[in-house]
Amino acid sequence: MTNSLLFGIATFSYFFAMVIYVSYLAFRSEALGKAASLTMLGGVVLETAAIGMRWYESYQMGIGRAPLTNLYESLVFFAWMIAVIYLVLERKFKIRTVGAFVAPFPFLLMAYASLNPNDIQPLVPALKSNWLISHVVSCFIGYAAFAVSFGVSILYFFKVWHEMRSTKPAGSFWDALPSSSALDEIGYKTIAIGFPLLTIGIVTGAFWANVAWGAYWSWDPKETWSLIVWLIYAAYLHARITRGWRGKRAAVLSIVGFAATMFCYLGVNLILSGLHSYGSAF
Amino acid sequence: MSDAERLKNAKTDGKDWVSKIWGFLTSLKLVIILLLILSALLIAGTVIEQNKSLQEYYRFYQPGTVDLFSKLGLFDMYHSWWFVACLSLLALNITACTMDRYRGIMAGMQKKDLILDEKLSKSLQNITTIRYALPLDVVENKMLECTGNGFSGKPLVTATEDGSRHYFFEKGKYSRLAFFMTHLSILIIFLGAIAGSFFGYKGNVNIFEGEAVSQLETRAEKIQHLNFQVRCNTFHAEFYPSGAPMDYRSDLSIVQNGKEVLRKTIRVNDPLTFEGVTFYQSSYGALPEKVSIEVVNRDGSVKGSVTAPFNRRIYIPGMPDKVEAVDYQEHFQLPDGTDGGQAISVNLYPAKGNPVGLWLLLNHPKYDKERGGDYYLRVSDLKLKKYTGLQVNNDPGEILVWLGSILLIAGIMIALFLSHKKLWISLRTDKEGKSELNIGGTANKNRDTFAREMEHIIQNLKEVS
Ligand code: HEM
Repeated sequence: MTNSLLFGIATFSYFFAMVIYVSYLAFRSEALGKAASLTMLGGVVLETAAIGMRWYESYQMGIGRAPLTNLYESLVFFAWMIAVIYLVLERKFKIRTVGAFVAPFPFLLMAYASLNPNDIQPLVPALKSNWLISHVVSCFIGYAAFAVSFGVSILYFFKVWHEMRSTKPAGSFWDALPSSSALDEIGYKTIAIGFPLLTIGIVTGAFWANVAWGAYWSWDPKETWSLIVWLIYAAYLHARITRGWRGKRAAVLSIVGFAATMFCYLGVNLILSGLHSYGSAF
Repeated sequence: MSDAERLKNAKTDGKDWVSKIWGFLTSLKLVIILLLILSALLIAGTVIEQNKSLQEYYRFYQPGTVDLFSKLGLFDMYHSWWFVACLSLLALNITACTMDRYRGIMAGMQKKDLILDEKLSKSLQNITTIRYALPLDVVENKMLECTGNGFSGKPLVTATEDGSRHYFFEKGKYSRLAFFMTHLSILIIFLGAIAGSFFGYKGNVNIFEGEAVSQLETRAEKIQHLNFQVRCNTFHAEFYPSGAPMDYRSDLSIVQNGKEVLRKTIRVNDPLTFEGVTFYQSSYGALPEKVSIEVVNRDGSVKGSVTAPFNRRIYIPGMPDKVEAVDYQEHFQLPDGTDGGQAISVNLYPAKGNPVGLWLLLNHPKYDKERGGDYYLRVSDLKLKKYTGLQVNNDPGEILVWLGSILLIAGIMIALFLSHKKLWISLRTDKEGKSELNIGGTANKNRDTFAREMEHIIQNLKEVS
């Protein structure tokens, strides 16, 4: 099917984007940097086409549904969202060197997605809901923002570590990265984008559950974990806004928050059991 | 120590005590600690599966651990007193913080310090002074143009005795209220959840096609009467060729005083609500209404037959034995694990001896022959009655939950993206006859963004000529 082919090529683009971003960090030639951004953008364009194609093909098969309802589709959407958010931030904050640390995510997610069944299955009744679609979209924009914040926070630690022991003349590998305070700021900004979207995701999810099952909150593991993630980032925001936590402590919370996010997304399905395991609803 | 002194000490002690508690409740450390503790408890609640039967727990844990966990309430954590206490502490914490900040926030919205004087200048960073060789009026016009982009709306103008003019611009004053929106919305959601659990109910009810019910059993195992009847006209289940479910739908009628007042086909994700009670498609099934059983001799000749209604012992005509149909399975599991199809469970009461329970399989008429005995039974006809399984929910607190959710989202977005910005500009003619412009500003949040905006405005002002 065309969509799988397009997804495959997009995966390769993300791979090359990753390689070029890393080479850019190493050699810092302007041309390489441009090539990296363009390759990433190419990946996004291809993947956009792939998602659109998948949607269209579902209609051709007489199923007709948004491509956002199983693990494969959520993984590729997640990859797409990270790439988009990253490219926007790269333009806005001029942080191309960060690319080497963010570009692996879309590639790895796509690669992991390709290990999962990707045929277009018709939907079981519980999943036929527009609330589900808004739920998935807002959750994954949130997750993607947290992923970028995570990448930037890791980078923050490298940068601080380098700034502390750096006695070498300027121009070394690490000097190409944005300053630690800029990284700290971006780490916060991305969470400030992700938090409201996660909130919307949780609320629309509750609304969907209420329409489908007559209970907006039933403490199933997936719901509970989304609340855990939400509480951790709420703690992050309070620590930052009211107690002035910046730098290392904020970066630690961002990393912990993203670990919880990933557990909520994958760990709950793989390790814990619940209503949500993809495809077994109703 | 005199009595008076003691009394005085006691009083101040008491006051200390109150202010300590207040300090604790409004402490911002408590917020962070509470949020992280709640996260940790919730993690425990997902790792230890909740509300399973004790037998299942015994399979996973040591008996001692089961006793300990069940005493601690870890198996029904979300209803344990300590979890509820944590949530209550959070609610108290939010209430106290809101009260504590009320005055400050209201004061922050008042217009004061309209003039960029020395005292104010000291509290602001980056006061910039620009001198022009232009007349004051021209500078004023240009200045209003430059600031117009960021601060639409008229500034407050004050003229002072020394001939200078002071301009005060502000934007996003009401974003300060976002604090109330976010935090009170959480209390509203809590309130909605509490109202729902005290005044609402949830339950399940199965309705046979063509039948109606006017009561149901709630999850709290109480009988709930409805002011109306719900009738299931028909139920349909459709499947994809792969066998996966495609659609479940029930055609329901609401009947009041013998009249149909509402009719709707409900599906998963499309329930029906009447007088605050909502009915959700949740399951379905079928129970036999009547089953015809043939009594067959071992040589294959039919000895007799009987049509048995469910759950009633009746005589097999011409024989001293009785049968009773008691159970039905859509997918009977054969001893080798395969699906044996539809099956009826029958109790056979011989005239002499003990009753026997046996399964009769529709697809395997000779299944019962293996039991041995003079004769065996087989099903010759089966009439099923379909039923639809509805989840029923009455939740008077729901509306508060959604109201709170909307306020929460709006509040968070306003809090994170908007800020209250203030800009002061003063104009005067200096000793040398030049026009002098002083500019300074603050924002209560997102200061880096605001600093960039200020830079932009100052840059534009510097380019005025
Ligand atoms: C899970 C619950 C909570 C959520 C989602 C939440 C959300 C937020 C958000 C989004 C902000 C930024 C608002 C702003 O800057 O105006 C904030 C600030 C704040 N929150 Fe909370 N909050 C929660 C619980 C609490 C609690 C329990 C307290 C009680 C002490 C509290 C006290 C504060 C304070 C003092 C600020 C700072 C406001 C400022 O300085 O502008 N929050 N909260």
